[in-house]
Amino acid sequence: MVSKAYLLSVFSIWHIQNIVLAGIILLILGLLVYMLSYMYFKSVYDKKFDKWSLISDLLIRKAVFYDDEEESEGDSAIPVTARAEKLMDNKHFRKLLINEIMSAKRSITGISADNLKHLYVQLGLDKYALGNLSSGRWYIRAKAIQELTIMSMHEFVDQLCLYADDKNDLVRMEAQSALIQFNGFDGLHFLDTVTYPISNWQQIKLLQQLSHLPPANIDMTQWFKSDNSSVIIFTLKLARIYQRFDLYYDIVSCLDHPDPLVRYEAIHCLNEIYTDETSDDFISRFLGEILKNQLAMIKVMETVGTEKDVLFLLDLLNHENDEIKIGAARALVQSNKDGMVSLEKYSKESNDSINEIVMHIKGEVAA
Amino acid sequence: MSWQTFILHFFTYGILLYSIILLICYVLIGAFSISETRSYLHKNSFTDYRMLASSTETPSMSILAPAYNEGANIIENVRSLLSLHYNNLEVIIINDGSKDDSLEKLIRAYDLYKVDFFVNQQIKTKPVRGVYKSYNPVYRKLIVVDKVNGGKADALNVGVNIAKNDYFVCIDVDCVLEQDSLLKLAKPFLESTNQRVIAAGGVVRIANSCEIEGGRLVKVNLPKQFLPRIQTLEYIRAFLLSRMAWTKLNGLLLISGAFGAFDREIVINCGGYNTNTVGEDMELVVRMRRYMEERDEPYKVAFIPDPLCWTEAPSTFKILGRQRNRWTRGTIETLRFHKVMLFNPRYGILGMLSYPYWLFFEFMAPIIEFFGTIGMIIYCFTYAVNWSAIMIIVGVLCMGILYSIFAIMMEVLTYNQYRGRKDILRLVGVAILEPFVFHPFVVWSAIRGNIDLLRKHNSWGEMTRTGLATEKKAS
Repeated sequence: MVSKAYLLSVFSIWHIQNIVLAGIILLILGLLVYMLSYMYFKSVYDKKFDKWSLISDLLIRKAVFYDDEEESEGDSAIPVTARAEKLMDNKHFRKLLINEIMSAKRSITGISADNLKHLYVQLGLDKYALGNLSSGRWYIRAKAIQELTIMSMHEFVDQLCLYADDKNDLVRMEAQSALIQFNGFDGLHFLDTVTYPISNWQQIKLLQQLSHLPPANIDMTQWFKSDNSSVIIFTLKLARIYQRFDLYYDIVSCLDHPDPLVRYEAIHCLNEIYTDETSDDFISRFLGEILKNQLAMIKVMETVGTEKDVLFLLDLLNHENDEIKIGAARALVQSNKDGMVSLEKYSKESNDSINEIVMHIKGEVAA
Repeated sequence: MSWQTFILHFFTYGILLYSIILLICYVLIGAFSISETRSYLHKNSFTDYRMLASSTETPSMSILAPAYNEGANIIENVRSLLSLHYNNLEVIIINDGSKDDSLEKLIRAYDLYKVDFFVNQQIKTKPVRGVYKSYNPVYRKLIVVDKVNGGKADALNVGVNIAKNDYFVCIDVDCVLEQDSLLKLAKPFLESTNQRVIAAGGVVRIANSCEIEGGRLVKVNLPKQFLPRIQTLEYIRAFLLSRMAWTKLNGLLLISGAFGAFDREIVINCGGYNTNTVGEDMELVVRMRRYMEERDEPYKVAFIPDPLCWTEAPSTFKILGRQRNRWTRGTIETLRFHKVMLFNPRYGILGMLSYPYWLFFEFMAPIIEFFGTIGMIIYCFTYAVNWSAIMIIVGVLCMGILYSIFAIMMEVLTYNQYRGRKDILRLVGVAILEPFVFHPFVVWSAIRGNIDLLRKHNSWGEMTRTGLATEKKAS
């Protein structure tokens, strides 16, 4: 006979299994309903967005072509339709409008751009952005900074300054970009205090922003002494791009920096800013360098090398590393008018691998 | 308790426990994937890739595309690679001893001539017969290498030796890349400040039935054929869920051989691609990670969820079976080469989580599933099976379907490549059919992979492709 307790236990297992299975099936159905509803509501919203888009386009067009003196008598407000004003309470419409205003502001300048800023302030959108600066979510803070920057809200620059060393990388990046946007090269003074590393991505972004400004001779010397390696690397890039020959000795001092990435950037920088002594600076440090930086030095010697470096470069043709040999052969040919002759003479007395390298270099020169 | 009952219980509850742990893993993968994808999408909304396209400060990249008997489409494929948006780029095509006229076609189409080129054998490879460059300055980015046949890994190693840039991107020459794919793939290398990014991968999608013009994807369509369509779902699940979740944990072990970027210096230090495995893509990533762990250097393997690369999926069971057989062998070989890492705390997440997951849930899952199915059939014949066991099986199948539908939902909420409601419903249909039609075949192919490996059968398995030409419009 099967005991009652056994039956109960079987029932309870059976019961739990049913509940679990029903739960899984309900979840499947739930996900399906959610997904299909999402698609449905998205298509409904897309249609609504198309209508809103027309309203915001009209508003932006009015602002862009708004003539203050012609169209108003005393009141300088850009005319906003009742429909648009009503929609301002809707956060989705506001988001759409802000995106469109920002997109238009990016592509135009002059009075039209000022008018767009005027519209932005008139609609109180700056207040929303200011409120978002204190949001707990990093992407809302970053978006608010981006918005205020694109809309040229200079009056908030002191507030944005506070975020230039924020612990969130995106917030920090947007704030640093804002400082350059508002203050030009002077905005770079965040480098005095920034403690978090500046990523290569951000450096490219900042350099891109600066490339649109007229060059300025700012004092960079203290940045070479920064404890933040990325600040020194960025400064070296600035020195290279803006041809700051006055910083030559600061750059050379970076060849002795403990961070190999700083030394690498300094070597790269010396390709543009060099003197007759540069190759000596390299040669004296060559043996102590890591391979990547040794290769970089040889590469730069194509530009900075002179007749006095021939022996050093010929010596490197005996190096155990083939990459160093190719680099040295190339530097020898590029930096001396008699380099090819020296190389051929050397190859006649040497092994096959050097001959192949010489052929390779000859091919490069011929191309 | 008799020994038969003991075996029966051990078998039943063992599989039940295994299934529960696997399901917990899937739930965690789903959760981590949501978190990582959300974070990526938020960050991406601040990114302007045009800035990178026009900058002279972008890192230099080399594309390595091994080609074996690709004569039919090689000219258009190379043209497509040459048209990618990227500043500091070289494109290296490695003709791996093709028996067709690939090389001659390339020489004619791109006005190539043989150059004296010293190949620095930092990684040992089969001999290089010649290196070609173009007389035409328009194709100055292009280098074509002709070498003795040695397989994909050997061809890639030749490419690594010849490449002169800091990073290289390996791709299958017949893949179609998005125009901004390199810009997106370069970003992780530039963003990281406290960890060295040693490799980055992007999502690979199925190109069957898509419209392609002049080597560019112009319209995304859900594959019309059943097998490619089911693989579409499989790829969404693998890339949007699994790889994103492992990226969150910095435990990703695999970057698809079809499209991935690597730090060339680390690859060379690790000895390049392993020519003794058919899973060279996974093996390289595992070896690079192991190399960094053993040197205690902070590092990261990045992955981005944007669809960047489109490839043709096998459309017959024969070809699909060969592919899955090879994937299984590649996984086992990689796990065997690096078995020292299993539950070894020295390797951190890699040894304590990623490796065990791949061992127990990627390698062993098909084996357990196979023997579980056989056991269940025997139970049925001996009337030992009860309702409870059937309910467990139904539950596990439903969880599989739930996981697939969750993946489809993630696709809809993020990239939504298949916009029509009908397409999404078709994918849902495929998700319901998959456990009964496709999955058993994949399990069987994996079992055959295990058997082939035991028999020391280590061929690549010919991957005949019907070609995306049928979907291509005249360019």
